[in-house]
Amino acid sequence: MSIGLVLRSPPRDIYRVGAGQAVTSEDLKALMAQVAQARDRAAYGRLFQYFAPRVIGFMVRSGVSATDAEEIAQDTLVTVWRKAELYDPRQAAVSTWIFTIARNLRIDLARRATRQRNGVAALGAPEIGVAESAESATLSDERDAKVREAMTQLSREQATVLRLSFFSEKPHAEIARELGIPLGTVKSRVRLAMAKIRPFLESER
Amino acid sequence: MSLHHPYDDTLARYAAGRLGAGPSLVIATHLAGCAECRARVGLFEAAGGALLEEAPAAAVRPDLFAAALRRIEEIAPPAPPPRHASPLDALALPPWRRIGSGLQWRRLRLDYAPDANVIMLKVAPGGKMPHHTHRGTEYTQILQGAFHDEFGRYVAGDCIEADDEVEHQPLIDSDVDCICLAAFDGRLRLQGFFGRLLQPLLGI
Ligand SMILES: [Zn+2]
Repeated sequence: MSIGLVLRSPPRDIYRVGAGQAVTSEDLKALMAQVAQARDRAAYGRLFQYFAPRVIGFMVRSGVSATDAEEIAQDTLVTVWRKAELYDPRQAAVSTWIFTIARNLRIDLARRATRQRNGVAALGAPEIGVAESAESATLSDERDAKVREAMTQLSREQATVLRLSFFSEKPHAEIARELGIPLGTVKSRVRLAMAKIRPFLESER
Repeated sequence: MSLHHPYDDTLARYAAGRLGAGPSLVIATHLAGCAECRARVGLFEAAGGALLEEAPAAAVRPDLFAAALRRIEEIAPPAPPPRHASPLDALALPPWRRIGSGLQWRRLRLDYAPDANVIMLKVAPGGKMPHHTHRGTEYTQILQGAFHDEFGRYVAGDCIEADDEVEHQPLIDSDVDCICLAAFDGRLRLQGFFGRLLQPLLGI
C-alpha cells in the first residue's frame, strides 16, 4: 500500500524555472501569448522546461510507466504548440489547460493499447467519454486562483482523498479499503472538499 | 433542466480521467446537456492544474525537447473530426433486441474497452425496469421519458447513481418509451423474470 502523497503543497504562486528564475502564473500566460501570436520558440522552450518535467512527474505519480510518461509529456507539449491559439487566458490557467491535454492523452494512450491488444484497428473515430476540456465550460481564470486557495484550506483527510481521486486508478471503494474507512466516508470527504471549492463557482454566477 | 446530477466524487474522477470507460460514457452524455455539471467538472480540472504545478519535476531526457522541436516543424496531422453533440452520436449502435413485452435492450460495444458493461434499455409506458440490486455503482442517464421508484421521480436529462445495496424496480410513468443509458462499474445482480432473462445476455 503506498499512499505516500504530498498532503501540503508548496506555495503555488511562485515557481522556479531553470537557474533560479521565478515564474508566476501570469508569466506562463505571457509565454503562451508569445507562442500563440509570434510562434516564439524561446517562449516555447521555457514552457517546455517548466511543464515537461511536471507532466512526467504527475504521470509517474499516477502509475504510468516512465516511458509512457515521457511520451505523454512530449505529445502534450507538441499539442501546446499546435493548439496554442485555442488557449484562452481569460478562461483558465495555463496549467489547467495543459492538465486537460495531458489527461486526454493518457486516456488515448491506454485506449490505443487496448485496441492493439485486441487487434482492433484504430478507426479514426472520435474519442468518446473523454472529459470535455476546460475550454468549453463557462469559466474564468479567476476561478483557478480561487480553487488553489481553496485547496490549501482542505483538511488533511479531504486533501488526501481529492489527490487519490487523481492519482489512484482504483475506484473509491478500493481506496476506502486501503484507508480502512467506509466507502461513504471517502465519498463524503470528496464532497466536503468540493463544498469548499464550490462557493468559488457560485460567486461567479 | 435536470434535477438529478452525478455526485461530486464521480465528477472528480471523471475530471481526473479516472472513471471507467462505461461510466465515463454515461457522465459525458450527461455533461453534453448539463452546463451546471460542466462547470463542476471545470473546478476539478482547475484542481488538476494545481496538482500538475505541484507535481515533482522529473528529470527530462535532454533529447526530449529536441524531438519536440523537430515535431513542431512538421505539418500537423489533420484535426480530429468535429465533436458530436452527444458522445452517443459517435457510436454505431446495435439494433434493439426485444426481451419481453414492452422491454428492449442493446449492449454497447466500446472497442477501446471491451469489458465495459454499457447497455441501453427501452421500456414502454407503464412498464417496469428489471428488478435488480447492485454490487458496485450503476450510472444511469435518462435519454427519453420518465420513471419513478421508491426514491423519487426521474426525467430525461437526469443522471442517477445507485450505490451498493440499493434495490429498486423503476416504473415508467411517461407517455413515451423510456430510454436509458446505463453503465456498471461493478457486477450487477438481476432478479425477477426480466432479470433472469437479462443476466445471461449480459454475461454478467
Ligand atoms: Zn448535471
